[in-house]
Amino acid sequence: MLKAEHLMVRYGERTVLEDISLEVNPGEWHVIVGPNGAGKSTLAGVLGKTVPYEGTVRLEGKDIREIPAQEYARKVGVLSQNHSAVYGFTVEEVVGLGRYARNTGFLHRSDPDGAEKTDEALALTGLAEMRKRNMLTLSGGERQRVFLAQVFCQDPEILILDEPANHLDLPFQQELFTLIRAWLKTPGRAVITVMHDLSPARKYGSHALLLDRGKRAAQGEVSEVLTPKTLQVVYGMDVYGWMREMLTQWK
Amino acid sequence: MKNSPRKEGRLSPGSAALWTGLMLATFVACVSLGSVNIPLRDVWNAVFGGEVSRETYRSIIWWTRLPRVLCAGLMGAALSLCGAAMQGLLRNPLADGSTLGVSSGAALGAALSIVLGISVPGLESAGPAAMAMIFAFGSLLMILALAWGIDRSFATHNIILIGVVFTMLVSALLSILITFSGEKLRSITYWTMGSLSGKSYEQAAVLLGGMILFGLPLFLQSRELNAFAVGEENAVHIGVPVRRVKLTVMICASALIGICVSIGGSIAFVGLIVPHMVRLAAGPNHRRLLPLSAFAGTVFLMLADLAARSILSPLELPIGVVTSLIGAVVFIVIFYRSRKGGIR
Amino acid sequence: MSKKLVSLFLALALTLACAPVLAEGGVTVTDMTGREIVLDGPAAKIVALTASDVEIIYALGAGDLLVGRGEYCDWPAEVLEKPVVKSGAETNLEEILALEPDVVIMATMAQSKEQVEALEQAGVKVIVSDAQNLEGVYTAITLIGDVTGKTEEAAAIVQGMKDTFDGIRAKAQDSGKTIYFEVSPLEWGLWAAGSGTFMDELAGICGLTNAFADVEGWGAVSEEQVFEKDPDYIVTTAMYWGEGPTPVEEVKGRAGWDQLKAVQNDQIFNADQNEITRPGPRLADAAAALYEFVYGTEAEEPAA
Repeated sequence: MLKAEHLMVRYGERTVLEDISLEVNPGEWHVIVGPNGAGKSTLAGVLGKTVPYEGTVRLEGKDIREIPAQEYARKVGVLSQNHSAVYGFTVEEVVGLGRYARNTGFLHRSDPDGAEKTDEALALTGLAEMRKRNMLTLSGGERQRVFLAQVFCQDPEILILDEPANHLDLPFQQELFTLIRAWLKTPGRAVITVMHDLSPARKYGSHALLLDRGKRAAQGEVSEVLTPKTLQVVYGMDVYGWMREMLTQWK
Repeated sequence: MKNSPRKEGRLSPGSAALWTGLMLATFVACVSLGSVNIPLRDVWNAVFGGEVSRETYRSIIWWTRLPRVLCAGLMGAALSLCGAAMQGLLRNPLADGSTLGVSSGAALGAALSIVLGISVPGLESAGPAAMAMIFAFGSLLMILALAWGIDRSFATHNIILIGVVFTMLVSALLSILITFSGEKLRSITYWTMGSLSGKSYEQAAVLLGGMILFGLPLFLQSRELNAFAVGEENAVHIGVPVRRVKLTVMICASALIGICVSIGGSIAFVGLIVPHMVRLAAGPNHRRLLPLSAFAGTVFLMLADLAARSILSPLELPIGVVTSLIGAVVFIVIFYRSRKGGIR
Repeated sequence: MSKKLVSLFLALALTLACAPVLAEGGVTVTDMTGREIVLDGPAAKIVALTASDVEIIYALGAGDLLVGRGEYCDWPAEVLEKPVVKSGAETNLEEILALEPDVVIMATMAQSKEQVEALEQAGVKVIVSDAQNLEGVYTAITLIGDVTGKTEEAAAIVQGMKDTFDGIRAKAQDSGKTIYFEVSPLEWGLWAAGSGTFMDELAGICGLTNAFADVEGWGAVSEEQVFEKDPDYIVTTAMYWGEGPTPVEEVKGRAGWDQLKAVQNDQIFNADQNEITRPGPRLADAAAALYEFVYGTEAEEPAA
């Protein structure tokens, strides 16, 4: 459903992404992994239409540059990493903004399902009690959940989540990944997550793209890409050995 | 429909009625009061064409106060609305309608017209106003062209920076002009300080037209402005056509500011302080913020003008001084109270 | 005839009374801030920063002593040929010193203490004139007369002005009518001349009452106050730049102003701004012009 070909992103002289291609089909969960500065978030930005790029991205065969913003937002929901708050909106106001693209009718003011979907999204992310809270008073993890709720409220077919587990403590992380997995069960849906944490990537993802300084290091099924050997090459250390050593601390 | 769509964030009919009432009451008070004491009955009769005890009263009410109060109210609404919209769009509480450098550009245009004696054929006295409008629009085009040249996306921080630098440049040019203006100085400072003295019904009509033509589109951008105020990247992700919204808001706000400056000079502080106060009291949701700012701006500028023309009677204070003074004090009080009671 | 004789006598008496103290070829004068200044003799090279002082110098016939003028000094016409120096807040000391004057005449508002001190350290004498009323103008004229060695001419000018004013005062009946001096038009916010201004004094001489006597000095006034006071005469000092409505037409054309007595009776006068605002000898001309406007030319001839 989403197909990116030969993506290239340059900031002046510096090439941040080089010749990256990606095909996402319904039911798939793609994880994008790699060390810091590999270009993971840049790729999410390209797919979220916030980063200028060369190459093409097609959604159901249509170049996304030609798809109007609202129509694209109905199909693709994006969670980015930057969401500092300047103004004191309430939690439910921010979550409700996810319905923007769903409004129809005169001056785009009608959205019969809006209230229900907002309530649902608030409940899903455990924010029901906090719906009237001021964004400026929230912790990092709470704020992360607000924007997760917003993207669920948006009700898209493809979720692109840049580090969705950011700021979340372990129970919420677990809950989140379980939630996404359940969400993906509905036919016609797909997920792309950018993650630096390799264990959940390996556990939940179906496909993986391993980036290394803007280039593709490995791509394919998770079990083929995220192997001790490829990680050793990209990260320049014995990643698997390190993880094992960490686990022994708990024995 | 199972359940009616949530009216969350909208201005409730109750508070709309309350504000309309307050606005009308202020209007009546401002027409009735002034540096000349006129009995209420004469005020009423002067407006509705009855007998007045002195013909002078009719002139004062009909030719001086009414058009002036109308202009003050409309300008207050326009300045505050633009300020609220720009603060949301640029996600910067220090922005206002003049952040783009439009009002200083307009003042420069007016000053140039005064110094060089440029005028509109057939409408000689309208020279400065016409030049103010032209320069307001020229400034906007220039700033947009520069921002466009940088990265085609009209990045917010670029726009603010260009606007600030442009304002400095224009102020410097204005100072140079003032140095060479000699005896025409007073008329130039008028444009940079603002004044509501001697306003006419025609000018009130122009302001009203501006509000309909450029203010209405701003009101219709409330959801988009909410998205911008939360974050521009987030706005892209939820499907806001950001470039179109940015252009719409910037063009409408600048045109409206241009009209205001061409009619009353650049009146300081209103566009900055009124939306700020409203946000502290009613939250940042633009569905409420925009109409409330317009209401509050109307009331605020009408009262400020009343103070300017009556406190030191028969002398008149510059309106910009009054707005800055009242604005700053009221702001500190509200800010202090709201911070004491928790963040809003 | 006898009147002339009296004035001549008066002038002589005045000259004697105010004669500068001659200190061994030098001249000691007291300027209008009360400072005593000792000059070696009458000034030979003068820089004057204020328009009114330049006008006084020329009226004294001492124009050839002027080696530099402030930027706004534009009368009489020949002064325009003299070198220009910056004045007021932009006063440039080097510019002044380069002209090598022995005396600089400036008004209080045109200089700062530091500037005066710097000039005096460079060996230039600074004379400060500070006329706030007609009495002050006489003092300024006498002072500059002493500085330039034209003491007698100064006395004659002062006497001439006094005669003019007295003449007008005698002819003008105290009509009780009111006059409004507008120094900034409606478009830029009305400014009126209140009490303590030269215009106020001139109004008194012409037997009129200043409508804005309740305002101290010059002030921005409310338009509705003009309606309330409904003056018999309106004087605008606006400059006419040669296009659009003239200042008088502009006043008449204002919305609602057709209700005013002065507009209905066509009693609006566009005064020469420089003549009526500068504390110099031309105030006598301004008074005469104002008198002519109020009473008409036929009243000029005293009843035969």
